[in-house]
Amino acid sequence: MPSYILQRLGMMLLTLWAIVTLTFFLMHAVPGGPFVSERMLAPEIAAALNAKYGLDQPIWLQYLSYLKGVLTFDLGPSFKYPGVSINTMIATGLPVTLQTGLLAVICVVALGIPMGIVAALNRNRWPDTAVMMLATIGVAIPSYVIATVLLYVFALRLGWVPTFGLDDWRGYILPVFALSGFWVSFVARLTRSSLLETFEQDYMTTARAKGLRPGQILFKHGLRNSLVPVVTVLGPVVANLITGSFVIEQIFALPGIGRQFVLSITNRDYTAIMGITIFYAAALMVMILIVDLLYAVLDPRIKLSGAKA
Amino acid sequence: MTQSTSGTPVLSVRDLTTSFFSQRGEVQAVRGVSFDVHPGEILGIVGESGSGKSITCMSVLRLLKATGRIKAGSANFDGQDLLALDEADLSDIRGNKIGMIFQDPMTSLNPTLSVGEQVIETILRHRKATRAEARARAIELFELVRIPSAADRLKSYPHEFSGGMRQRVMIAIALACDPRLLIADEPTTALDVTIQRQILGLLRDLQARLGMAVILITHDLGVIAEVTDRIVVMYGGLVMETGPVRELFAHPMHPYTRGLLASVPDLRDDTHRRLTPIPGSPPDMAHPPAGCPFTARCPHAMRQCAAELPPIFGHSQGARCWLHHPDAPRIAGINEVAA
Repeated sequence: MPSYILQRLGMMLLTLWAIVTLTFFLMHAVPGGPFVSERMLAPEIAAALNAKYGLDQPIWLQYLSYLKGVLTFDLGPSFKYPGVSINTMIATGLPVTLQTGLLAVICVVALGIPMGIVAALNRNRWPDTAVMMLATIGVAIPSYVIATVLLYVFALRLGWVPTFGLDDWRGYILPVFALSGFWVSFVARLTRSSLLETFEQDYMTTARAKGLRPGQILFKHGLRNSLVPVVTVLGPVVANLITGSFVIEQIFALPGIGRQFVLSITNRDYTAIMGITIFYAAALMVMILIVDLLYAVLDPRIKLSGAKA
Repeated sequence: MTQSTSGTPVLSVRDLTTSFFSQRGEVQAVRGVSFDVHPGEILGIVGESGSGKSITCMSVLRLLKATGRIKAGSANFDGQDLLALDEADLSDIRGNKIGMIFQDPMTSLNPTLSVGEQVIETILRHRKATRAEARARAIELFELVRIPSAADRLKSYPHEFSGGMRQRVMIAIALACDPRLLIADEPTTALDVTIQRQILGLLRDLQARLGMAVILITHDLGVIAEVTDRIVVMYGGLVMETGPVRELFAHPMHPYTRGLLASVPDLRDDTHRRLTPIPGSPPDMAHPPAGCPFTARCPHAMRQCAAELPPIFGHSQGARCWLHHPDAPRIAGINEVAA
């Protein structure tokens, strides 16, 4: 097991390096640059700026010096916001994104899975129909539409929650809801279909033939066997949610990193693009590793071992 | 109805009727089945696939899948009708006073729980026992079903066991609470022939040692002949013939039973007789025939057979066949002792 984790961490570093390299060269291949804007800069000023940030150097030299920075956990200065380092940028945006993201993750698990269970237990009866209808709506309607409608109804019309900002707990309700809506629906559908499949298994009949109580049959025998596909999607979902959503952060005016990421692309803020990409990739890979470790916990037939070299 | 053994039956099934409802309509899997199981007896229920034998037993414990429904009948066990009990009371009996073993040991155990846990949870459900006591009992049970190094194997998972060993685990689970009745639904069908014999031998030994009653469901007449005391032959959702195993093998009363026996190879028989298959196929239970379901395949079918379902004629051995009506024509070997 420890050797498996070490091996996986090694692979992750390699993947990260590939992502850094690919993003770096793609980004520079896109026309424009951080100091190109409608307001033409005097050529001397542009040249001075390029020299200050090393943009006048050959691209491979820029690449090497960036790589050196990454290895020392220095993601460089922002090209757009003078005096702000990318490390600070992530450090200020991340708490907001992380808070709303983790709350959304909790919603996905605490609402999605129970909804799926209720639907599966009441197959083709009204609770099932109700859950599936909600879930279809949640999957079909884009989050920005949900967010806008929620804002209109609950903030503007009813005035129950603020329209923007996270000044008190009520500010979290709508963003978290809008953020998690799709995944709650998705996980509910997945849990339902996975459970229904498990119910058909012979060992579920055995569990009933043993006289076990309904709760034991459902949770100990049914749910555990049904959770593998759910956990599989939860990994990337968590990575997705805790790295923020541009749309939601924009609509609710949350100062998170999802918004900064998109802004940095339009700004050609090279170091910001790189920094946030690295952060997103790392988060995703860590989550996938956790998912793989969880498989082994859920299903003893899955053995984790390092691949033979 | 047969009453060959004296005493109160452990289980008394009367007029059990079970149907499955699907898009193509009602499939009448079991159409009024009655039988008794007496204490200490091994009752064999034999029949082809689709004869309703498994559905009969799944109905008794109400373990049918969602599309199945018990439409009528009773199953008297210990003074209670299993078909009328509420789910909670019935679950006190399942796994406790009635144990059950299934056909496929590869899929009947939960792959994510250790085999020990699957035995222990059954004991803890029905007995006032601490975990340690339940564990000790589980080891005892593993030794009883002859799983080598029992204590060490408790921690193993089903995928680490062979098919025969898994079936032994299933038997250990079924016996965990000293049941009065063990229902074994084709317990050897999915196993290798050599393993089949071991498991059958084990079942017979355990039955003799523990004194419980056993219902053994099978399509294998060899299995039936070897271990059972009495037989119920099922076809088309009905009991076709019933009687003590010796009599039934020596003098089958029903043409269907005769057909079954004629289609079984006998290695001790050196006359090189050919096996005789029964022509045709079982009736479609979505549209069961009005008369005897075997009419279409029966070599002795009469007009009466297609028109009206015969009752069961006979006493300790009985058959659902018009040939046993007093007015029926005499046919050698069926209602007349062959010369």
